This record gives sequence, structure tokens and C-alpha cells, in this order.
Amino acid sequence: MAPILSLKNISKSYGRIKALQDVSFDVPDGSVFGILGPNGSGKTTLLGIVMDVLVTNAGSYRWFGNPPTEKQRKKIGTLLETPNFYHYLSAKHNLEIAAAIKQKPVSDIDRVLKLVRLYERKDSKFQTYSLGMKQRLAIAACLLGDPSVLVFDEPTNGLDPSGIAEIRELIIELAAAGKTIILASHLLAEVEKVCTHVAILQQGVLIKSGEVSSALSQEEWLELGSDETEKLREVLDRIPGVKEIIRSGNHFQVFFNTPSPEASWLNRFCFEQGIVLNYLQPRKKSLESAFIELTNNVSN
Amino acid sequence: MRDFLNTLRIEWLKVKYYRTFWILLAVIVVCIPAFNYVIYDFTDNNFPKINGQNLLGNPFSFPFVWNTVPYNAGILIFMPAILIITLFTNEYSYRTHRQNIIDGWSRNRFIAVKLTEVFLLTIFVTGVVALTCLYFGWLTHKTSEPGVGWRQTRYILYFFVEMLDYSLIAVLFAMLIRRAGLAMGIFFLYMIIEQFVVSLGRNKYKVTWVDYLPEEVADRLIPQPFGRRMITPVNNALWEKHVPLYLSIALLYIIIYIFVVSWRFRKSDL
Repeated sequence: MAPILSLKNISKSYGRIKALQDVSFDVPDGSVFGILGPNGSGKTTLLGIVMDVLVTNAGSYRWFGNPPTEKQRKKIGTLLETPNFYHYLSAKHNLEIAAAIKQKPVSDIDRVLKLVRLYERKDSKFQTYSLGMKQRLAIAACLLGDPSVLVFDEPTNGLDPSGIAEIRELIIELAAAGKTIILASHLLAEVEKVCTHVAILQQGVLIKSGEVSSALSQEEWLELGSDETEKLREVLDRIPGVKEIIRSGNHFQVFFNTPSPEASWLNRFCFEQGIVLNYLQPRKKSLESAFIELTNNVSN
Repeated sequence: MRDFLNTLRIEWLKVKYYRTFWILLAVIVVCIPAFNYVIYDFTDNNFPKINGQNLLGNPFSFPFVWNTVPYNAGILIFMPAILIITLFTNEYSYRTHRQNIIDGWSRNRFIAVKLTEVFLLTIFVTGVVALTCLYFGWLTHKTSEPGVGWRQTRYILYFFVEMLDYSLIAVLFAMLIRRAGLAMGIFFLYMIIEQFVVSLGRNKYKVTWVDYLPEEVADRLIPQPFGRRMITPVNNALWEKHVPLYLSIALLYIIIYIFVVSWRFRKSDL
């Protein structure tokens, strides 16, 4: 099956500044694809190019396996950079325009407004909305006509913590419904919770892309402790496949050459060696740490 | 065709509830007859009458009214330009020009419908000018000769060309500058500078090329209508001889503006 979006050697410059350099990757069907990178890394530029609001200097892209057309964009719900609406019109009238351009039924407007909790304010002018409400309206516009592909550029901008959680839940629900979601963000904790694939950009260069697990090695380890700290240390040395043991106060962090064993296995192993654990916690390196490590390595 | 009508319907949705649009349009509709009435009143009451006839002739009677009203309306041509600049720069300041493309319009469609909007506004204002001509023509009742009333209606067409020329200059400034206030300021500045260059070139340096500058050439399509008795037949004949040239150059400018505006929108970052 052809990828939903395929980028080939995309380059873009603003004068002497190279915003994107030779970027290529594919977005598989049904994936939640995170485009990661710090501010100014080229995420929005990349999405601007594939939505035809920016012009490339080199390279090409294909949507649904075909050269890009405006008809394809009608099938994609896109929030790019900021919510763009007519300030003097109400939410409902703004969505009428969006629905008419996308050729989606006007009857869908109430549904999407309810989904983002703006139905009660549908007749208020856009200019009276708070930043979070504007962002939610933009998400509502994306959902018009229930598109199979969604492109979200920093979708939680301006939202409060509960709003962020709601959008995260919404993205998870949409992904569960089989939608392909392309999500650009610099909030890695947000991406970590929802993405299946990532592309990592730094200063316009693609550092890595692919499945989250392969693109960003998120090392795992076990953290454990006992009342008999010294004896525990001796027992830990006897565990097969251990790479490194680090003492941290009364606890030990145990790293393995192979994938970490199950916590229950380790608990049993220690018990059999006469040690009763009072603390046992499996740990995993956060996407944020993995990302920082990777981008630092590239910078260096 | 049906597809493009649907696109026009979307443009209608953009202005249907836009109060500023309706206020500016109402100002245009009111000001064209009102300004003409002020001139009519002034010319009727402030000049000596010889044998009951005004020294300036009867500029508001048929068939001269077809020249007079478009000429006066030409002085107010900055009003629709303000409306056009507002409608264009709104898209830039709200960034909806990007959103319309993202949602599924092609760049060609966006610019085509915007230019069509300018075209329709020009037809509308020309219609207001034509109705104003009829009103003043019938108001003055200065001729009973059959058929005279419809002579010289070609000035309505010339007004259409003049307004389209000015409107597309407004579009060009709006697109290049993107901010309403600045675009309007530059538009007015350009009007003044061009008039200054024309006056200087024509009267001081005696050069004729200034007659073909973008706004001047369109202005020249509608000659000054007052004081016909003082205009010699030679001047009339000279103007008549030049009209096809003025018209051709004005139309050429219009084509150039459309080309530049479309090309820029299609090829640049939005």
C-alpha cells in the first residue's frame, strides 16, 4: 500500500537560511506520525510545503501515492501554525466557509463543535474567543467531514492542562479509529503518549525517521532496593546479562545488555537468593531524554 | 461553471455578515449621486446664465450627463479602492488566504475568484453611475429630441475601464504590502505622485509620455465635461482621435496587473 505522504529530497531556503535540506521520509497509512524538533527546526515549513502554502526550492512530495492536487487537500483536516479564521464572523459561519471549500456537508458543523465543546458559543464572533477556544475551533474545522488524514501543527498551543489532555485523548481516539495523523510538536511528552512513528528534524536536517522504538532508543532498566543493601549488591552481580549497576542512595539501577527481564522474574530471583525487596520499579528513558541525547550527538 | 459559481458563493459567505463591507458599499452608493448633486447644484446656481442658458452649458442634461456623472464619479474612485484593499488585506491579516488553500482551493482558484469579485464590484459601481446619469438626465429635462438621451453612453464603458484600472492598482498594492493601512497610504501617495509627475511633465517639460501613465491614461478616457462652450472643436477632435489609444493602453495595463497579481500569488510563499 502506498504511503499516505511521501517526501522526496525536499529543500527550502529563505535567502541564505536553509530551512529544510534534502528531507525524505514516508508516512505509513494508519500511523500517528510525530514530526519532532526544536523551535525553528523546519517542522512548520515542511507542513506548509505539503499543504501548498510554501513553495519548495527542490524535491517533491506525493499524497496518497499521487502528485499533489487541491482535491487531495479537501480530504485532509489540517491545522497549520495558527487558527486562521475571519475575525468578524461567528464560529458557525467560519465553519460554513471551511465546509464549503472542503465540499463537506454543513450538517456536520454542529457535530464537530460539540466535539470540541464550542457548540454553546457557535454564534459568538471568532474575535471574542480566547486563545484556547480559537485553537479548539481550528481542530473542529479539521474534523469536518471526518477526514481519514489529519495534520496537526502544535495542536495544544494555547490550551490549558485539561485542554491539552482532551486533545491528547481526541488524538488517541482518532488514531484508534484508524485515522492517519501527522503531528508536529516540540512537546515530546505529548508526542510520546500518542505517536507510533517519528521524524526528527534539527536545523532543517532530518536526523532520523521510522517507528518510535527504532528511531529513538528508549533504554530500559530496573530500579530496586532492600533493607540488606550490601547483600543485594552481591546478588545483583550474579544476574545474567547485566551491563551496569549504579547505586543511587539506598537503591540500585540495573541496566541489561539484552532487554530487561520482567520485574516479577527479578523479584523471584532475589527472593530465591535470600533477599526480600522493599522497592522494585521498571524504568524507561523518556522520549525527551532520548531526543535530547540524539540531537546533542548530532550537534556534536 | 457550476463549480466556479460555488466558489463565488463562498466569497459571498465571507462578506454576507461583514458589516464594514456593507457600510463601505453604502457609502459608495450614496456618495456617487450625492457628490454629483453637489456639483449639479453648484454649476446650476453659481455661473451666469446667458439667454437662460448656463455659461457651462447643461452638463447634467442628456446627452452630456453621460460624460459629467462618470467624470465626477471618477473623483470618488478611491472609495471602491478602499473597499478592495480592505477585502484583500483581510485575507492576509487573518491568514485565511493560506487556510483557503489548505482547505482545498488551488492558488489559481483563490486569485481568480478574488479578481472576479473586483470585476463584479466594478460592474456594480458602474451600474450605480449609470443610474445616477439617468436620474440627473431626467431631472434636468433639457432635451426633448428623440434618441439624444442615449447618445454618449460610451462614457459608462470608459468609466468601467477607468475603475477597473484603479481597482487593480489597489489589488496590486494590497497584495504586495499586505497591511490595510499601509496599502491605502501607498495607494493615495501613488495617486498624488502620479498627478504631480503628469502636471510637471505636461506643463513644464512639455512631454506627452506622462499621458500614458497607469492612472492618467484611464482618467483621460473621460474628458473634463464643464465649459463645453469654451472647448474648441479642435480639442474635441484630438481627444476623439486619441481615445482608441487611451483605451488600448488602459486595457493593456489591466492585463498586466492581472498577470502580475496572478503570477505572484501562484509562485510565492503565502
